[in-house]
Amino acid sequence: MTHSKGWSFFAENWEVGPIFRALLRNKVGAMLIALQIAFTMTIIVNAIYIIVERSQKMQRPSGIDEANSFFISSVGFSNNFNGLATTQEDLNALRAINGVVDAIQINAVPLSGSGWSMGLQTQPGAEFDGTGAAVYMVDEHALKALDVALIAGENFSATDIQVRVSSQTHWPDKVIITLAMANKLFPQEALAAVGKTVYINDIEPMVVSGIIDKLQAPWVGWDNVENVMLTPEIRDSKSSRYFIRTTSGERDRIMTEVETLLAKSNPQRIIKDMHTLDETRLRAYRDNSAMIRILITVMTILVIITGLGIVGLASFSVNQRKKQIGTRRALGASQQAIVRYFMLENLLISTAGVMIGAIFTVSLNIVLVNAFSLAPITWYYIPLGMIALWLVGQLAVYGPAKKAASIAPAIATRSV
Amino acid sequence: MLNMTNIKKIYRTDSIETHALREFNLQVDEGDFVAVTGPSGSGKTTFLNIAGLLETFDEGCFELDGVDISNQNDTARSRLRNQKIGFIFQSFNLIPDLNLFDNVDVPLRYRGFNRQERKKRIEQSLEMVGLAKRMRHLPAQLSGGQQQRVAIARALAGEPRFLLADEPTGNLDSSMAQSVMSLLKEINTNGTTIIMVTHDTELAAQAKRNIYVRDGKVSEITHSDQYAGDASELLEDDTESTLSPVAALSR
Repeated sequence: MTHSKGWSFFAENWEVGPIFRALLRNKVGAMLIALQIAFTMTIIVNAIYIIVERSQKMQRPSGIDEANSFFISSVGFSNNFNGLATTQEDLNALRAINGVVDAIQINAVPLSGSGWSMGLQTQPGAEFDGTGAAVYMVDEHALKALDVALIAGENFSATDIQVRVSSQTHWPDKVIITLAMANKLFPQEALAAVGKTVYINDIEPMVVSGIIDKLQAPWVGWDNVENVMLTPEIRDSKSSRYFIRTTSGERDRIMTEVETLLAKSNPQRIIKDMHTLDETRLRAYRDNSAMIRILITVMTILVIITGLGIVGLASFSVNQRKKQIGTRRALGASQQAIVRYFMLENLLISTAGVMIGAIFTVSLNIVLVNAFSLAPITWYYIPLGMIALWLVGQLAVYGPAKKAASIAPAIATRSV
Repeated sequence: MLNMTNIKKIYRTDSIETHALREFNLQVDEGDFVAVTGPSGSGKTTFLNIAGLLETFDEGCFELDGVDISNQNDTARSRLRNQKIGFIFQSFNLIPDLNLFDNVDVPLRYRGFNRQERKKRIEQSLEMVGLAKRMRHLPAQLSGGQQQRVAIARALAGEPRFLLADEPTGNLDSSMAQSVMSLLKEINTNGTTIIMVTHDTELAAQAKRNIYVRDGKVSEITHSDQYAGDASELLEDDTESTLSPVAALSR
């Protein structure tokens, strides 16, 4: 008697060949499940890729101290409302509040979805293309209020700050830009951009006085979201938006205090739109969050349907093959061998499914990349998806396989 | 070799207890050919199931080839079935999606034989029943007699000590039935112990011993004189006896 040993014992006796040949003789059910697995893999892998991409986008830091910051708007309504004077008084009062790190007037807020943008270029003239950047009009308190780090050059001084009226078209002669913007304007020598002249409105020169590490534009969906410039300006306008940063844990208390203070300090205006940066972030990424939830729901439903499909086919197969299973048991199959038989059968079907699925996945990704400008899928998502679907198949078939193993061998001698 | 003492088997439902076997005693020696007959419901199949380790029993002692079966768990019984027992079923019980080669291969894989050993045994056993040339055919492409021969090849490929046949000719016409019976006698002559359950008293009479089961007990044991003559004829002309049943079945 010749027995093989070790690995070859398992490999040779796992009935891969007979199961495969038997499946070829009963293609329809197996092919339907394989196609279901393929479609599920296609949707799941692409969905997970989109979810990961969106999640990474949502987790990008804005550059500001979001947890301890908020903003609030003041809108004067009387004819004799003095916007500039009120702004100066408000800023003095806000900066004096115990627990406020700093406060500024700002024309737009990161993550808020609305703001200003202008193009900067390194050479004057309309014939040269500018690089778009979000504009935040701020004073010398901005770096502290926004919690951004100056990595080259210097901050604005109080004397740099110019008053901007609503009809004004010209720009200050100094600008602070983000490192990302400096890289766009001066590739390879971003930090050396300090002191260099850039042009706004095609021909107006501005000297780069400083470079900050990171600050996002108001529009989170914008590809160049880190292209930002700070201009040294205070706006003379009836409406003013204040950005306030507090010490850790003091935000909510100070929000109430600020609202009351501003409301009482000048009755010729209304105070509105007070929001934390946490709220603003949630609102900014609401569509992304909704899409992620929808995709997770779809994926879950698909996996459940596929799992149930496998359970259904395997259960049907077990019921159809009761006598055959009993015969195998009578011929010496252990219960483990019966479980193994059905697990292997499913593995073969799943393998066909994930192979087709890999082709479908790449095809769908190509369509998505062309239609929605997504980045092409990273290669390792494909093998991970295959493994996931293999696992789903194995988990789904385990119950029916155990049921098959419990079929009594005596059924082999029954005549029906 | 097979020794059953006071075996009791009761089937229970919520309201009914059915005593399938009661004080069932039987000894089968090596080389024996026992035909088990009896009316429907007498316990023949239950006996065969217990003898083939397909079912457990409630009381009594059962030794198979020196192994006390009552102490064996499901896995051990599966191994014993695979190593010591060959089954022939009334409905042949071939796996319809597998060709003849793969059908005969089924118990050999569970036995753990390597590829070369399995191939050799499959070809030899299919050759023995005259179907070696059709090993890539599916069971549905064969006649009933041919399918039963494949089942016999499958049962014999592992060289079992026992062959348990459950109405092996029940689904065959009389000519095929006699050919299968001749093949079984030949197998027995070559040393394999056979226990055959049958309704057919004419076929039963060709076994060495007849066990008559009634009400779950062995009620009568008779020895066949005819068998000795047939067997000696087979032994005198081995070549012819080997080929003749196969030739008959091939028709």
